[in-house]
Amino acid sequence: MVRVKHRYLLVNILYPDDNTSSGATTSKGQKDVPYAVQFHKPTSDRVDTRMFMQMIRNGVADLFGDYGSGMTAASLQVKYFSPATSTAIIRVARDHYRLVWAALTFTTQLPKPVNQPCSIQVVRVSGTIKKAEEEAIRRAQASIRRAQRSDSSKPLNSASGAPATPGEMLDSMGLDDDRFADGIEDADEGSDEDDSG
Amino acid sequence: MFYDLNIPWASNDLPRTLTFLDDLGYNVVALNHTVSGKLPSNLSCPIPDPLPYKDLPAKLTILRRCTLVLTETHQNARLTELSRNYDLLAVRPVDEKTLQLACSSLDCDIISLDMTQRLPFWFKFKMMSEAIKSGKRFEISYASGVMGDSGMRRNLISNATQLIRASRGRGLIISSEAKSSVACRGPWDAINLAAVWGLGQERGYEAMSKECRSVVVAAQFKRTSYRGVINVVYGGEKPAAATAEKAENAKGKGKGQVNAQKRKADAIEATEGAAANGEDVRPISKRQTKRQQKEAKLKAAAGDAAAGDADVGT
Repeated sequence: MVRVKHRYLLVNILYPDDNTSSGATTSKGQKDVPYAVQFHKPTSDRVDTRMFMQMIRNGVADLFGDYGSGMTAASLQVKYFSPATSTAIIRVARDHYRLVWAALTFTTQLPKPVNQPCSIQVVRVSGTIKKAEEEAIRRAQASIRRAQRSDSSKPLNSASGAPATPGEMLDSMGLDDDRFADGIEDADEGSDEDDSG
Repeated sequence: MFYDLNIPWASNDLPRTLTFLDDLGYNVVALNHTVSGKLPSNLSCPIPDPLPYKDLPAKLTILRRCTLVLTETHQNARLTELSRNYDLLAVRPVDEKTLQLACSSLDCDIISLDMTQRLPFWFKFKMMSEAIKSGKRFEISYASGVMGDSGMRRNLISNATQLIRASRGRGLIISSEAKSSVACRGPWDAINLAAVWGLGQERGYEAMSKECRSVVVAAQFKRTSYRGVINVVYGGEKPAAATAEKAENAKGKGKGQVNAQKRKADAIEATEGAAANGEDVRPISKRQTKRQQKEAKLKAAAGDAAAGDADVGT
């Protein structure tokens, strides 16, 4: 009996538009927040795992019809969904992961009650969920770092006086932030055959 | 390095789009200005340099591109003048005849087809390979499929697969042509789309990076170099004035010496001016020098002998 092989897609939901129809955004003036932080803002709490799953299914059905839905239905699963960081890990059969990926690429807004324009970027394709998790943690830390830096670049800063800000915690962990900050993807994302377990 | 060589210049909220592209992982972006119909009298680039926005990502390279819609009657003569004002020149043929023209004789960098409508002709490998051989690249723009309705998406997929089939995966570039930031997708997402459409992952990666770079570099080369063949990358610095003078002196001296050895008469003539001042500066003859040497030797020997006597004496 051969084990069914999967791919784990680590996806980021990005919000390039400043349309604030969801309640998740802060009441603070949008103009003050730098673009890089705006793009990575948290997803609305009304979006849950089931809704996200339904969105993917509809997307696949929309783009590939019954064939696509049938091929991916058995294995498709949302393993992890975090509205706070707008991150999700999706499991799909290895043979058909490109269908799901294409469907995610063609997604332009969140499903019905939220209806927020978004752009979904697959940041990592992995053969094991462990690697996807590690990448998710790495990226979350990088985004904290980025927010921290943009905050500290302002002259008046309340956070810098606090004893243990997230950025300082990262400092103590010895993280090299320049590796993360530029947002360039890993080159090895393409060679997805490497870490198939 | 990832390239997106088609961002409409007239899109709304351009700094946001550019920042988003930088966030997605692009390194080079070309702003596009489309010219359709008759060429205006003033061909200069309307895109200001540098851009008048303050918070642009520092690492993003921004190029300027012009897309000329090719219709039946076009002005071929002013094409070079147009291309000189931009970093890249793209043409958009509307029918088979203009596509043929763009592939064969027209001097452009990118051939960009409108993929949202059903094209009334087939792509021929012979025609396309001719264009690719001369350095032109075919462009696939995905944003119309992302944002448009299902009809546009269908046409985009149909045309893209036709293009991939006819070109056999070579000489393609993938760009967004995104009118708003929501239509932009990450480079790897676009590569995956192309993979679904039948372009291999490696070819897709090349279409996002290597092929785009070759277009940009070739276009730059065409504009700055001598006849598109030789370009001076670094000509070295000008030597400082003092050292230059010294070098010239050294050179002159060397030449003088050679002359003196070869032709005595020249050297004599050169010193004539000094002689006129009253002093005899004629070169001493060989015999004269020998005589002088002998005298000097004798004198020295006599001096030595005298000294020796003195030593003995004490």
